[in-house]
Amino acid sequence: MDRDFAFGTASLVISVGYYWTTTLIPESQLADVIGPRGLPTMYALLLGGLSLILIGRSLGVRFWLKPAATTAESRPQPDTAVSDKTRSKPRTSKDGARRAVGTLLIGCLYVAVVPWLGYVMSLAGLLFATIWYQGAVVNRQVVIVSVAGAVFCWVLFVLLMRIPQPSGLWPSLL
Amino acid sequence: VIGALTSIFTTAIGPAAFAGVAWGILGGALPGISPSITMALLLPFTYGMDPTVAVVLLASTYVGAEYGGSIPAILIRTPGTNAAAATVIDGYAMKEQGKAGEALGISLYSGLVGGLFGLVMLVLLTKPLSTVALAFTPTSYFALGVLGLSVIASVSGESLIRGLMAGLLGLMIATVGTDPVTGLNRFTFGSPELLSGIPSILVMVGLFAIGELLAQSGEANLPSPAATARIRFPNAALWRRLARPQAIGSLMGTLEGVMPGGGGTISAFLAYNEARRWSRHQEEFGKGSPEGIAAPEAANNTVACTALVPMLSLGIPSSNSSAVLLSGFLMHGLVPGPMLFVKSPDVINGLFAGLLTANIAMVIVGYVIMTPCLWLVNRPKPYLMAFIYAFVVSGVYSVEASLFHVGLALGFGALGFAMRFFRVPLLPMVLGVMLGFMVESNYRRALTLASGDALIFFRDPISAVLLGIAALVVTASLLRHLGHRAASVNS
Repeated sequence: MDRDFAFGTASLVISVGYYWTTTLIPESQLADVIGPRGLPTMYALLLGGLSLILIGRSLGVRFWLKPAATTAESRPQPDTAVSDKTRSKPRTSKDGARRAVGTLLIGCLYVAVVPWLGYVMSLAGLLFATIWYQGAVVNRQVVIVSVAGAVFCWVLFVLLMRIPQPSGLWPSLL
Repeated sequence: VIGALTSIFTTAIGPAAFAGVAWGILGGALPGISPSITMALLLPFTYGMDPTVAVVLLASTYVGAEYGGSIPAILIRTPGTNAAAATVIDGYAMKEQGKAGEALGISLYSGLVGGLFGLVMLVLLTKPLSTVALAFTPTSYFALGVLGLSVIASVSGESLIRGLMAGLLGLMIATVGTDPVTGLNRFTFGSPELLSGIPSILVMVGLFAIGELLAQSGEANLPSPAATARIRFPNAALWRRLARPQAIGSLMGTLEGVMPGGGGTISAFLAYNEARRWSRHQEEFGKGSPEGIAAPEAANNTVACTALVPMLSLGIPSSNSSAVLLSGFLMHGLVPGPMLFVKSPDVINGLFAGLLTANIAMVIVGYVIMTPCLWLVNRPKPYLMAFIYAFVVSGVYSVEASLFHVGLALGFGALGFAMRFFRVPLLPMVLGVMLGFMVESNYRRALTLASGDALIFFRDPISAVLLGIAALVVTASLLRHLGHRAASVNS
């Protein structure tokens, strides 16, 4: 399954879901000529149409134009010092996707535990988990950096900049 | 002008400009952290600040990041920002000859020249546009929004369809919340947090900062630069020699900066090519020519100012960085566009004064910060990523003390990663999010005022002109797109 096909399919699903949701918007006595459903409906139809074009183009390239499909888009790019190190290059490896999902889950876990554990402990956990997950060897230094980093962030944001952060259950226990 | 200059010393604008430049240089020097990401990381923390100080801080970050990108470009052959890619060619060659300090000095000095030229152009080009402010009606604002959306055609990269789809997804995101005309709730799924819509700051931080963080998590470590490097500024003879490439770079930066979809990267390469064409030392290009650094660095620092012309005067972001800055304006209740000059001239003057300070600060801070900058760039990647992650979650929470928002930003981060994976450009989606509300609300108001007569958009002279320009932008982009496609098939 190529990327255009996958992105087209995902967008088609989104457009159908979005269109269905527009039908749930109630009618209003105050509605204007277009109404609250007007443009969202148009967006959904346009996205659906473009998704079908992308899917069709992807299938067409795969089944009918395969021998001629080596356009500049699909051809390997020249291996130059500049182009291969800029961030615009596509991430292709499945390992990269797996790592991204793991990193995202660490963030989700932080959101889940911070109302209970509070900012400093949760952030220390996030720092430790990210450092470990990104491949650092776990040792005393990682633990110290994680805890010190969380305390530093608390001092910087909460004490110095007066930006509130979740305090967790600790105030109620003390 | 006097008021603006005085404000540098009487308000927090001066310190904000210095702080923004320092943060920008540090962010720009980290390979993988672009100016827009550096600005997005800072964005949530500006929430409680005075609006003028906040926009100066963000704009100064942009200025600093453009220089910061040249540091790894020169030292480790890896551009810190895309715009610094052209600097790699001669910058790294000079470093190989043991002239890293000279190369960094040329980059810094040329950045100053380009930045100051860009600021003059920004002041000259944006002020006259404020005179048409009072003539704008809902019809004109709708046409302005369409003009902004037409930029999607030129920023869609290799696939126009994917760009259009990203733009539509952005427009869809902009419909979440309370309907601007009837007050009905749309796409909120019963969540009170979504009643006021999805704040653009969450989209920015998610797509740019978290999305890039997730993408970087699968990337290999980059080589580390030398632990020390000392900047050496050019002498008088070199100063004279660099005048021509700097002029070329400044001109290219101005042209590309004000154009929709133009940016530092394109202008830097154009400036490099033109500087080589007009140089008396063409044979040195590619082998460590000082002119090969001066032209692109002047160009991308000019763009840091001139890219604000369409953003300030029309409310249209033409690059990722100006989109983040636009989000900063919106977060403080400032709506860039013609009326900003009428309603908030103090912010505009403060921004100009801040940019002047930022460009001067770039030289001072750039010189002083080199050692801590190299220390930071040399940190192991897992530690850098962990602290960036910590800053992101802390910053997003601070906006409205909402964990729902942190979750939403993580969701947009996942979307940003998926878009990078599927090679879908981010800027069209950002344009959709930014302009969606303006387009829909003004379209419906204009039609209501005209009793449903759609021809009103062509009878209003401002609207007709703006729609005509939008049509030209789309046509030119389509022709260029078709030309590139035909060329790639032929080759």
